[in-house]
Amino acid sequence: MSHPADSRGVPEPRPDVDAQASARAFREHVEPQLEVLLRVAQSLTGNAADAEDLTQETLIRAYNAVGRFDGRHPRAWLLTILRHTHLNMHRRQRPETVADWESLRRTRPAFGASAPHSAEEEVIGLELHDHLERALAELDPRFRAVLWLVDVDDLSYAEAAAALGVPVGTVMSRLSRARERVRHHLGPNILTARRLP
Amino acid sequence: MIRSLRAVVTCHWSARRIQRYLDADPAALLTPGEVSRLESHLATCETCAQVANEHRTLHRALSRWPGRPAPDPVAVARLRGFVDQLVGEEQ
Repeated sequence: MSHPADSRGVPEPRPDVDAQASARAFREHVEPQLEVLLRVAQSLTGNAADAEDLTQETLIRAYNAVGRFDGRHPRAWLLTILRHTHLNMHRRQRPETVADWESLRRTRPAFGASAPHSAEEEVIGLELHDHLERALAELDPRFRAVLWLVDVDDLSYAEAAAALGVPVGTVMSRLSRARERVRHHLGPNILTARRLP
Repeated sequence: MIRSLRAVVTCHWSARRIQRYLDADPAALLTPGEVSRLESHLATCETCAQVANEHRTLHRALSRWPGRPAPDPVAVARLRGFVDQLVGEEQ
């Protein structure tokens, strides 16, 4: 019944148990985030091969650090590791930005892209898309990075902040200004007449 | 005159909150009172309602970006295998 450690009042460390707990925590916190990690890695690197390398390296670092992780906000935790790993692997990358615009613009999934909901929507979407491409090309890269991570990659403010290494308030102000600039660039006619269903 | 000035002030107040209202992000939620005030204003002010609609359209268009890097299922499967390798020795 009594464990030897009980007599001294302090449990002996149990490395095997710790390792198993870490493995369980890693699966619990990290596995559900694999797709998001890969998507953001692709936004940071601008290509699929580098994105997968970056995600693998991030997983290794996360596995080594999971014992110190408090279990709160796993996605933001992982995105912080992803950002650090990316900066280490690609030192020329400008901080607080994502991949350059030409890489982002060309980014295509290997397959599995979501199908348009209707032919009409596809046409409307493509027309609006041309205007959007020009508007995004003119944005400051730091503004474009926030817009891309929140509106295209669907990250929360806090997650985008973790991915870029800036405060949440900075994400909010850049996002707001980026959207206003794009909205003014497109103008009410385009955004109203081409309104998506 | 006083009424129109109040309307301008409310438009300015609303413009600063429309994006947060539409995003409903947990880091920057509006208070119930702010939501109520904003919704009342949007119901009566065509200019601000138009701005809100443009933001909605913009967000929808961006979220359906044709080149959006939808995760490649094969790459995701490889990463799952990589996770299995990482934790495999411990389980």
